[in-house]
Amino acid sequence: MGESTLLDRAQARHLLRRSGFGADERVVTRWLAQGFTRGDGADELVAFKPNAFKPAGNDQFRQHNNWLKYMLKAKSGLNEKLTLFWHDHFATAFSKVFDTKLMGKQNQFIRKNCKGSMLALVKGINTDPAMMEFLDTVRNHKLERPNENYGRELQELFTLGVFDLNGKRNYSDQHDVFQVARAFTGWDYGRSYKPEFHDYDHDFTDEFDGDPEEDRGPKVIYKASLPDYPNGFGGYGAGGVSYIDQGEGAIEIDRVTEIIFGHTHVDPWDSSVHNTVARRTARRLLEYFAHDGFANVDPTGPSALRTVIDEVISNSSFATTWSIQDLVREILVHDEFYASLSDPTKKSVKWPTDFVVSTMKTLGVKFLGSQAVVPGGPYMSVFTHLENMGQTVFDPPSVFGWDWEAAWISSQTLLARYLFAENVASAEGAGALNPGKLVDLALTDPGDIVDAVTDLAGIKDDLSTNERNAFISYLGGPVNLEDYQERRRKLYGLIGLVLQSPAYQVH
Amino acid sequence: MAITRRQFITRTGLTAGTVLGTGVFGHPLVRRAMAATSNKYTIVLFLDGGNDGLNTISPIDNGSGTLRTDYQAARRTGGGGIRLNPPANGGDLTNLLPIGTDPNTGAQIGMHPGFRGILDGVQGPGDPGFGGLYQLFLDGHVAVVQGCGYPDYNLSHEESRKIWQTANPLYSGAIAGTGWVGRFLAHPSQGYTGSDIPAINIQDSIAAEFRQFTTSVVAATRLEDFTFPIDDPFADDEQAKRDAFTALYGFASGSGALKLKLIGDSGTATYDSTTLFPTANTAYENERPAFYRNGYDQIDRSVARDLREIAKVIYAQEKGTPISGIMARYFQLSNGGYDTHSDQGSNQTDGQHFGLHAEVGASLKHFFDDLGNIDAGLPARTVVLIYSEFSRRIEQNDNGTDHGSQGPMFVIGGKVRGGIYGQHPNIGDTDDQGNTKYLQSGPGDPYLVDYRSTDFRDVYGTILTKWLGMDPPVVSADILPIDSGSASDFWTFANFDLKRSDGGTLFLP
Repeated sequence: MGESTLLDRAQARHLLRRSGFGADERVVTRWLAQGFTRGDGADELVAFKPNAFKPAGNDQFRQHNNWLKYMLKAKSGLNEKLTLFWHDHFATAFSKVFDTKLMGKQNQFIRKNCKGSMLALVKGINTDPAMMEFLDTVRNHKLERPNENYGRELQELFTLGVFDLNGKRNYSDQHDVFQVARAFTGWDYGRSYKPEFHDYDHDFTDEFDGDPEEDRGPKVIYKASLPDYPNGFGGYGAGGVSYIDQGEGAIEIDRVTEIIFGHTHVDPWDSSVHNTVARRTARRLLEYFAHDGFANVDPTGPSALRTVIDEVISNSSFATTWSIQDLVREILVHDEFYASLSDPTKKSVKWPTDFVVSTMKTLGVKFLGSQAVVPGGPYMSVFTHLENMGQTVFDPPSVFGWDWEAAWISSQTLLARYLFAENVASAEGAGALNPGKLVDLALTDPGDIVDAVTDLAGIKDDLSTNERNAFISYLGGPVNLEDYQERRRKLYGLIGLVLQSPAYQVH
Repeated sequence: MAITRRQFITRTGLTAGTVLGTGVFGHPLVRRAMAATSNKYTIVLFLDGGNDGLNTISPIDNGSGTLRTDYQAARRTGGGGIRLNPPANGGDLTNLLPIGTDPNTGAQIGMHPGFRGILDGVQGPGDPGFGGLYQLFLDGHVAVVQGCGYPDYNLSHEESRKIWQTANPLYSGAIAGTGWVGRFLAHPSQGYTGSDIPAINIQDSIAAEFRQFTTSVVAATRLEDFTFPIDDPFADDEQAKRDAFTALYGFASGSGALKLKLIGDSGTATYDSTTLFPTANTAYENERPAFYRNGYDQIDRSVARDLREIAKVIYAQEKGTPISGIMARYFQLSNGGYDTHSDQGSNQTDGQHFGLHAEVGASLKHFFDDLGNIDAGLPARTVVLIYSEFSRRIEQNDNGTDHGSQGPMFVIGGKVRGGIYGQHPNIGDTDDQGNTKYLQSGPGDPYLVDYRSTDFRDVYGTILTKWLGMDPPVVSADILPIDSGSASDFWTFANFDLKRSDGGTLFLP
């Protein structure tokens, strides 16, 4: 078990599909020939050199499509999947930022830093211009009540989370949000999009001290400020921790970030101490790459989810190095990562972007023209397809990013998936699939044809006999795939049906 | 165990052809089996962004307290001011519209003038929706529940919305991941299973209050677009594909894996809807042009257009064959734009907040007119519940308001006893963030404490028990479990029978 397990074909394809888009048969063949273990496969995947691609475009539509086009052709699928993960994590939306240059710059920053140090990543995001627009850091001024938007989300969404695994609050909603917001006053960005700090607009400690109308207190966080939390928050004791012990101004926000990354919580039944950011980040990455099919976490004792989280953290030393690459590597070799191959309760609903890009890559379907049109049916842009499926990159619905798993599924979004499937499976001409490259056209037996197509789609092993038979009865008997009309009718029809099937919506 | 629609068909030996051809769901036996709550329609309207409650329902005078004085201290006049003024003599359109007195202070309470529904397309008598929500109030059909909130309020839009939708402020694990309407729909007493479609959300995803894993909620923005994709050149292959599709989704519905079951149920419900919704759409368009074209189109706002989709579904059910396969009783829609940090406006008809209230006001008035025209008894079988994720800061900023705590809810319908429920929050005694406090009292007397808050779960619970007929102990056990904590700070005493101060119940007998 674990990293030294030899990869079989199913595991190799699973590893490639979940870490990227589709499973490249050439890579599978090479791995199997060379006797790759899970560790070997994961090492090769995480070793990519981050690309500096910056999705450009004068409008939201073009920028969106440029990233989608890049996903389809990117050398490292993992580079893009991690960029997508952090885009969701540090969700920033065009609909508020309203500047494709800033959005593109943030996307490039994330792509370049997607597997490096998470501490450095968060420090960079703190003064990323698109983020400063989105969460109002540029509107966070000294002379008004500080704008709490970034101070809140930095803790709630980017690092700690509201609650730890034991259901205890990680920080005070009122005191700590306000104090962290003070640290971020005075920040802006200049014409070249470089972050700038303005002394005159920064809320220094002494400025409001002693003013009875406006005493904002010492710059201390995570102290005992609620009756339920007499020992304060984060292991910093009842008195909390000062975030200006190394100076105010530019130093201050880095220090805030470091304090947050040093935040710990205690599991009550064995008094073990855990890093809060490490656990939450590991959990999210685990749910992203593997699954969320664990039973609810029991706050009163050990659970499978805790065990896995703590294992991948300790195997990667993530809580001390903050190396995202090492953490992801440990997830990709873990038994839980492969669990969905045999356990349908550990399947994960495909993200719309994954559904679209993986399908096109697997079928060899290409985007057409500058509008990134998807071949087939009404020849709609991928933007429209994905919008209808509920995921427009660069425009997540809110600072919470997208809701995952079951939330991807509704009638409206399923219809959009069915339409996309029907379109790409029935298209002919430019950008369309080439049936001879996907299936052996000498096959005639309906069972063989169904096996070939469902294997291509990666769902063959997931099907029950009944489900396999449903596909077979659709074919209705032997099919002469060499005959154009029969092939068009039945093979294309089968491919569309497979892409629309319940099994293909999950992985 | 309840009979599912498919089981019923199997058991009664009806074939699929019969179902589509003659509308078996109109059969009284099926209706009885499927719809424990009979033919009532319940609609949830979410005001997205945090509606400013203090400028929705405002004090006109002080009564025996200081509400108006405190209001004027917090909401100013002049440039950027958002203060609303007491009504002048006679029926003026731009000042507060009186709705009664606060049971706690005796202060006169008014509704925002926007609720008269004045919009570009709605200017006077004869225009659709004219008179707006205020006219519905004057007709006795609007209950205003003041000061609704929950313990330990949260100022994050998403967190607070989740709290209202899940009715789970303290993040209890037992009901995590489901919404309050969802738990009701999934309850065995309701008899819904698998691919039944008891609820429709007029948006592209399922609203969190409808989430559950037992039955199917359909998300649809426009019925007319709800069609199953067909490979046109090979239309003769279509039936074979449809058969395989429904078989595959049927198998998934039987899966023990929750997500696959959800996909199976949703896919089946989606497929069924694609054969029904466009029919319902066409029927409504063809048969009700006056309400369609000259009504909702003339109001020309998103709330009106979304309510029209609901009206189409209700019309289809009321008219039975040939589209009676639709059996949705529960609906959700939302309206955005309430996050009025800046440029909120006061009583100017082109103000931001004014426009939002006018939109909701005119749209609802026209919707109820439409229902009453479909069937005179229909408004009395319909309830609309309006809420927002939070209210806004008592003291205004330059020209808008920041996030706050308690605000009013509305319950509207022909069976609703109109008037004021609950107490106005104490805007003169805010917490250190400038928001009104959540105050509860011990069991027994709901007015034991001055300025007592109404927990939003009391409103939900009253609807579930008094409107939808669920037993109160069942609601407490399975839908809305009470908080643990002190009786003054938490919701430890459920009051599922909200009453006006004169003892009038929320719903007429």
